Amino acid sequence: MTNQKIMVPQLIGISESIERIRELIEHVADTGLNVIITGESGVGKEVVAQNLYHTSVRKNKPFIKVNCAALPDGLLESELFGFERGAFTGAERKKRGKFELAHQGVLFLDEIGDMSINLQSKLLHVLQSGEFAPLGSEKDVRTDAWVIAATNQELEKKVKKGLFREDLYYRLNIIKIYIPPLRARPEDIPPLIDHYIKKYASQFNRKQILKPGPDAMEKLIAYGWPGNVRELQNILKSSFVIGNWEETIDDLYLKSRSAAVSMSEELAIEGASIVDVLLDFKGEYSSDFDSFSLKKIKKKALDRIEREVISFVLEKTGWNRTKASSILKISYKTLLYKISDLNIKPPHSKPY
Amino acid sequence: MGQAIHKLTNNVNKSDKMNTPHKLLIIDDNKDILSALKEFFTRKSYEVFSATDGLEGLKLLETEQHGFDLVITDLVMPNISGVALISIIKKRFPDTPVIAITGWGEHPEALATEAQADKVLEKPFELSELDKLIKDLLSPV
Repeated sequence: MTNQKIMVPQLIGISESIERIRELIEHVADTGLNVIITGESGVGKEVVAQNLYHTSVRKNKPFIKVNCAALPDGLLESELFGFERGAFTGAERKKRGKFELAHQGVLFLDEIGDMSINLQSKLLHVLQSGEFAPLGSEKDVRTDAWVIAATNQELEKKVKKGLFREDLYYRLNIIKIYIPPLRARPEDIPPLIDHYIKKYASQFNRKQILKPGPDAMEKLIAYGWPGNVRELQNILKSSFVIGNWEETIDDLYLKSRSAAVSMSEELAIEGASIVDVLLDFKGEYSSDFDSFSLKKIKKKALDRIEREVISFVLEKTGWNRTKASSILKISYKTLLYKISDLNIKPPHSKPY
Repeated sequence: MGQAIHKLTNNVNKSDKMNTPHKLLIIDDNKDILSALKEFFTRKSYEVFSATDGLEGLKLLETEQHGFDLVITDLVMPNISGVALISIIKKRFPDTPVIAITGWGEHPEALATEAQADKVLEKPFELSELDKLIKDLLSPV
């Protein structure tokens, strides 16, 4: 091995926004203040988190990543905070939580927007006090983990809908690093391509490096990259397999066109179905409009929206009706009435 | 911290000699508010520096040789928020007083207090109110 350097994923790009992110990293890496990294899927949020970590004095301590969307609520909780032996059936031995493992290092909470309200409160408590109690433990554990969170969701919107705690939002938002999508910074595409071609060439042990010509490069720059840098990486890998750029790019454009078509079809179907459902026509236009009234349609539309919103909130709170009613700002009794009136059913899988 | 001590003596000298103007750093991402504040306090014979986000503000703090006599910062801003800025200032320049300004409908005041802002002022406020706060903080009893 000639390459003995520690692998720190590089932040590639020459755009103003990437330059600014580099500058931000330099300035905040040693503050230990909470950071939230936002941006679409595939823009490189974890790369920024890694760079923050490697720039900081914590670089020789652990970097622990937790994906908040990958685990159901209960599991995520024990993953974060750990548990004592015998805390619950099956807890045969003590498990240390990620907060403890990340002590003096970094705890990277990916997809924080998917965390349940219940866990958000617990996270907020740790951020406020620096302490947490593992499940089944009476003793609080101190943690000095530097929390870096990431999300591709607009947390402001989730706060407005009551799905993300406002106090937690402000606490995480102390330092915000936004990574724009690749289509908003096309000047970064050529250096990214150069970088990954070199990287994959050595990885795949290829001597001959296939670089896109001027025409191909122009098309690559013009492409929208909905999957951002991750998509670009995949395309480069497939160009290595296919062996020529023309074909790779044709595939790329073909795929994106069919994706766009299927999306617009979906939208059209959805639009039609709303009218169908609300008017109850189902394609059979009856000659008599006696039963038709705007008032009735309004009621039906409202019921449908209410049903969807209530179901969504119930699902997010794990069918905790007290919490759901406080989020919805309706009384507990009203919520129970709505659940039965709108015929909202709890998921079967969960035993109650 | 060498810089902090230097600044402290600097402050004392300044209050002795009234001819050296106090240096203010004002940070707000709302350019209208920023220029209004800048104009007002320049007219009040302060030397005013301004920045439109936390990172720019932090850079000024790091490069300005003799430091600032007082910092006024908005709380909710892109990249480095006012809350972060206050905790950084209080760690690196503990003798520099900070006034935090909070916007309508925002609730990070608790965080500003936690970060040890010397004063928290809620928008909308009168310029004279802010002027008085600054005078109070700059002339300790």
